Amino acid sequence: MTTALFKLSNIHRHFPLGETTVQALRGVDLTVAKGESLAIWGPSGSGKSTLLNLLGLIDKPDEGTLHFDGEDVHSHSDDALTDCRNRKIGFVFQNFNLVPVLTALENVMLPLQIQGLKADAARQRAEGWLARVGLARFARQRPDKLSGGQRQRVAIARALVTRPELVLADEPTANLDSENSRDLIELLQKLNAETGVTCVFSTHDPRLLEHVPRHVQLVDGRILEEKS
Amino acid sequence: MRTFQLGIRNLRRNARRSLTTLLSIAFGFAAVALFSGYTKEVYQGLTQQAVHGELIGHLTVAKRGMKLEGHLHPERYLLGPEEIRRIEGIVYQQYPQARIAPRLDLAGLASNGHVSTIFLADGVAPEDMKALRGPRQATGALSEGAPQGIAMARGLAALLGLKDGDDASVLVSTLHGQANAADATVINTYGTGNAGLEDKAVFMPLAMAQSLYDAPDRADRLTILLPDIALTEGARARLAPAFAAAGLDVEISTWQELSVFYRQVKGMFDMIFSFILAIVLTIVVMSVTNAMGMSVVERTREIGTLRAIGLRRSGVVRLFVTEALLLVGLGCAAGLALTLLARAGVNAAGLSYTPPNSTSRVLLLVGLDGGKLIFTAAVLGLLGLAAAIFPARRAARQPVTESLAHV
Repeated sequence: MTTALFKLSNIHRHFPLGETTVQALRGVDLTVAKGESLAIWGPSGSGKSTLLNLLGLIDKPDEGTLHFDGEDVHSHSDDALTDCRNRKIGFVFQNFNLVPVLTALENVMLPLQIQGLKADAARQRAEGWLARVGLARFARQRPDKLSGGQRQRVAIARALVTRPELVLADEPTANLDSENSRDLIELLQKLNAETGVTCVFSTHDPRLLEHVPRHVQLVDGRILEEKS
Repeated sequence: MRTFQLGIRNLRRNARRSLTTLLSIAFGFAAVALFSGYTKEVYQGLTQQAVHGELIGHLTVAKRGMKLEGHLHPERYLLGPEEIRRIEGIVYQQYPQARIAPRLDLAGLASNGHVSTIFLADGVAPEDMKALRGPRQATGALSEGAPQGIAMARGLAALLGLKDGDDASVLVSTLHGQANAADATVINTYGTGNAGLEDKAVFMPLAMAQSLYDAPDRADRLTILLPDIALTEGARARLAPAFAAAGLDVEISTWQELSVFYRQVKGMFDMIFSFILAIVLTIVVMSVTNAMGMSVVERTREIGTLRAIGLRRSGVVRLFVTEALLLVGLGCAAGLALTLLARAGVNAAGLSYTPPNSTSRVLLLVGLDGGKLIFTAAVLGLLGLAAAIFPARRAARQPVTESLAHV
């Protein structure tokens, strides 16, 4: 029996937009098991990013309950959620979001140092992850000296370096060419298989969907279809 | 990556803006440091002038009420020989190294035999005068070998057409209101450094003043020179109860209280310093606020990323506060370097000027006032902290999703 990492029940999320309100999510129910690999897809404005934000504990629903690793996180303080993100969740952003003044290695070390790990230990682990994503020789380069694909690999190493329960990737291939997209997808699948980390992607990219066993289609803030 | 190192790199990220802010802090700090250094030198000069030049010493002991009513009832307020002896005994018991000089002021007419003019005489024993002058042995000294020899301010000597070695006569009212005259010899002329006294001041031997005033062995005050000026306030605090316990109804004044000029100049310079400091602080606060505010806005998405990967709100605030403190710290260090350079240049240039109410030029010297430098750096640091903390708190409190969506 697989354990649920996430359990979302009747999730609603809306945002004020001028005098109107945008209903981003309308009663979403979703359970994600540990170790699972899942793609959330749908057109722009369907609520993919909003759902990912909720799964990443950087946003809270207006209605419904969200259990992460068995806990209802609604009442958690900001610091508790922040610490939880640091320990249990890795983020891969569409625009990479690396810190420009840090080298690739320092970017990967960052979540560990936020945890309070000593620099030497953090460096050792970060070097290991940079090697796993094939960037060992680019460790001293700053992000502006790296290609888009290399930056996204650094972001993946940063997401995984804390050995999280979950990696969230928001449109990870949107800013990459075909070759880099294929490489990235293969890398993510490999890491998912090797580490058992739960991976949730949001994407429009059919190439990514082909490699992910479970798909959740969102339309107008509702789950239209699930495929496994 | 330590917060400190990250702060340094972030400052270098927008080097031109950081440099502009740093220079505004540096020049502001240097302006305050140079002015406080200049005033320190001025205060030191004024202190020397008051204590040794005007012979005020460190403490002055007189009968209570002497300052207000001494001229109306001199008999009542002059110290007698027994009182002088008891006061000296108490002072020497506490401060054996102190010098005590009985003093007697006189006013009257000085004449060259043809014309007369007003003079204000300070009666002091020649050996006491020498001790009170201390390291600042200026012209205008009395001589133990010349009991009728007086030192006359140059302006007064010029009015009477007198020069060193000339004879003069002085006429005063005695303690009991009778006229009394004596012959005197001008043994010395001197510059008072004070325009108000230049055509009136005279030093005369204490014994001559006592004789003229018909008040043998009496004095209107005792001037005390302590081993160190820093002992002044403490000595007053110790001596006052000792005098009271001995039944002496006297009051003790410090040199600052008696030197009106010192207090006026210091008050004026302190006010100007506060004004300059306020201007500098305003410029620095605006500069740092602008730099940090822009930095926070430009790095909104980065803040969102850091929050997403686990940096607490307090961590974000700490990051920006560290940057602001680094800016202020580096700015103050650069300001100190500028100060030292400018100070060395000014002091080496040998510039001089004539201060207000003075008759002679003085060198423009700039010192270093460590206390004010530390105070200024601390205030700049606090204000830099405040200037960073508000935009940083605002950014840290922004929802992570909004920060990440920032364009």
